[in-house]
Amino acid sequence: MACAVVLTPAADGPVRGGRRSARLGPALSWASIALCSSLASVALAQPAALPTATTADAAEEAELQRALARDAGTAGPATTAAAVPVAAAYSSPAAAGWQTILPDISLILDTALAAFVGAPRQTGAHDPAQRGFNLQQLEMHLESSVDPYLELQANLVFSQFGVEVEEAYGRTLAAPLGLQLRMGQFLARAGRSNPTHPHAWHFADQALVNGKFFGSEGQRGLGAEVSWLAPLPWVVELIAAAAMPNGACCARSFGGGQAISVGGARDLALNLRLEQFFDLSPRASLLVGVGGLAGPNSTGFWNRTEIAIADVMFRWRDQGDAQRRAFTLQIEMMGRRRQVPDRLLQDAGVTASAVARLALRWEAGLRFEHVLGVADDPLDPSWTADRTRSTAQVTFYPSHFSRLRAQASWDRRPAEARDGFAAFLAFEALIGAHGAHSY
Amino acid sequence: MMRMLACTLLVVALTFRAPSVAAEPAPTKVRVVCTLSDLAALAQQVGGPDVEVAHLVDPGQDAHYVDARPSLMLPLARADLLVVNGLELEVGWLPPLQRGARNAAIQVGAAGFLDASIAVRRLQVPGTVASRSQGDVHPAGNPHYLHDARAAAAVAQAIGQRLAQLDPARAARHRARATEVSSALLAFAEAQRTRFAALPEGRRRVVVYHQSLVYLLDWLGIEQAAAIEPLPGIPPNPGHIAKVLATMRALSVPAVLQEPYYPRNAAETLARLAKAKLVVVPGGADVDRGETYLARIRRTVEAIHGALR
Repeated sequence: MACAVVLTPAADGPVRGGRRSARLGPALSWASIALCSSLASVALAQPAALPTATTADAAEEAELQRALARDAGTAGPATTAAAVPVAAAYSSPAAAGWQTILPDISLILDTALAAFVGAPRQTGAHDPAQRGFNLQQLEMHLESSVDPYLELQANLVFSQFGVEVEEAYGRTLAAPLGLQLRMGQFLARAGRSNPTHPHAWHFADQALVNGKFFGSEGQRGLGAEVSWLAPLPWVVELIAAAAMPNGACCARSFGGGQAISVGGARDLALNLRLEQFFDLSPRASLLVGVGGLAGPNSTGFWNRTEIAIADVMFRWRDQGDAQRRAFTLQIEMMGRRRQVPDRLLQDAGVTASAVARLALRWEAGLRFEHVLGVADDPLDPSWTADRTRSTAQVTFYPSHFSRLRAQASWDRRPAEARDGFAAFLAFEALIGAHGAHSY
Repeated sequence: MMRMLACTLLVVALTFRAPSVAAEPAPTKVRVVCTLSDLAALAQQVGGPDVEVAHLVDPGQDAHYVDARPSLMLPLARADLLVVNGLELEVGWLPPLQRGARNAAIQVGAAGFLDASIAVRRLQVPGTVASRSQGDVHPAGNPHYLHDARAAAAVAQAIGQRLAQLDPARAARHRARATEVSSALLAFAEAQRTRFAALPEGRRRVVVYHQSLVYLLDWLGIEQAAAIEPLPGIPPNPGHIAKVLATMRALSVPAVLQEPYYPRNAAETLARLAKAKLVVVPGGADVDRGETYLARIRRTVEAIHGALR
């Protein structure tokens, strides 16, 4: 099923693409067939390989297969059996020391096969951005309590040629008055997507507006954050943070790659967010966030940038459902104002996505993005026209710890001669103990 | 700037104050939050009128896969005691809630945090290697001990001990109720063990969906002939199911057991083809309707006995 989705854009490559993709197209098709079939064999294999040593006759076998297809939420073909360990041995209760003072350590590999029609114009550092194979990231996550007061979390991200400290922060566990403090380097809680890692994304690439406003690694920096859970009958969380306003990858609307001398709070990138959560019913919930960022930009001493963000997430899930079906609709809107010498530049962007968990192992999602360009933008000369991108993905989860995602997108670029198309086959695997994600 | 710094320093000073290891006297009711409804049913009986109990997971939900809805932070923020099943059952959703609740009293290591698994004899602890190639294994042992009345008796005692520590003024009452609940459960456990032992040996065999009933089967002296999942957390495939069916026929397995939150078609079809009965075991006590743990485990045991008889 995943193969069909992937192969169509790859096979279209030679028709619409330039010479390079014309050569690469068929190769990619074969590569995707090979990769796809080997990975899909986890779930879908030839019924011919069924073990023969059973007493079930053909009709019963077919009946069992239909029942399994209903259980799996798919009507797909049957699969083979691997080894069948039936009853695990009872072990002695004296298994001491399984949990040690070692931190939880996990390693996540994100890799993708990509095909493009038109020049690749991805905005994220972890996006598949070149034709052929891409290492999106190899993320090492470590976390543990420091003492009764603090915990430490670190995300070290390896590229093919180096290591980067994506996040590393201490967080309080026992602050009074419903407060929590964070200090170190962290992704700002600005909107819903910015503080998340590729492992938690429902699409293989970063949202366009996040790339344009925050940079290829999102809005992050060295700083401190205080958040407060209000003592109210519903969830109201107020977050305030201050961080360094620069970094080559990550504070694009502010100092960017420039060195900024910090003389006071005005010279930092400030973030404020109010998040509220409502249980609409036992199955449906709504999360609403509003906030904004403000800080100096790279054009001069008193020139500032302000970004306003509003986001809403609706989620439906029947928690008793054996298929764990769920539906999530998320809309994130951002508006930005940059003061530059003699001009006030204004732009905005929206990301809307709908993701459905269709069955135990299957997920599908749609995403729509629209980002405004600014004519003669002195700070972003490559982005002067509007861009609209539509994306669809289908994901297969062999287990809780791996996934195979096929994604295709259509990037409308009215200012250019032709639109862009991208197709990804992304693979993720996780080992080790990985902390649970926030909602 | 100076005022900001001063405020920060004040908050920091308050943050690093000595943790309250010694219990403070609880003025009114002890607010207990349990992850599972079975734990809540036990805590309610042990604490009686001296506690106020809430739970986070309903009996119809799979505790492995709970949405970490932020609203679950609210009861945790006000709790004096958090009781968890442990053995990594809640590892996929509880830590962000526990942290997000910003309540020092219930953090791991505090007096207000009780991992109930410390009280029980653990089964299926990986002997040598714990690897995810074996499926979604729990390195500390099988976490589903609350299907065993003997384990529940031990948990009741642990909850009583902890309540006595947190609420010293009423310690004797907590301990007395814990002993009462525990004795009733142990007596019930013993009686059922004898009752099941009277069944013909050939009837004391079942097929399960997930490796979640090992404690129950261990208690009642029932053999697990096969599991519908080839490995924990890995959905079944036809080849495996065909083998399960063959096993069921070869051993005349009389029943298939599973909880309500697992897919049911395979189990229904297997039960029909092998002329066995499908028993849907409750996922926990229906505490919202006032069901006690003893009532819920009796309901479980009666359903299984009915199928094996």
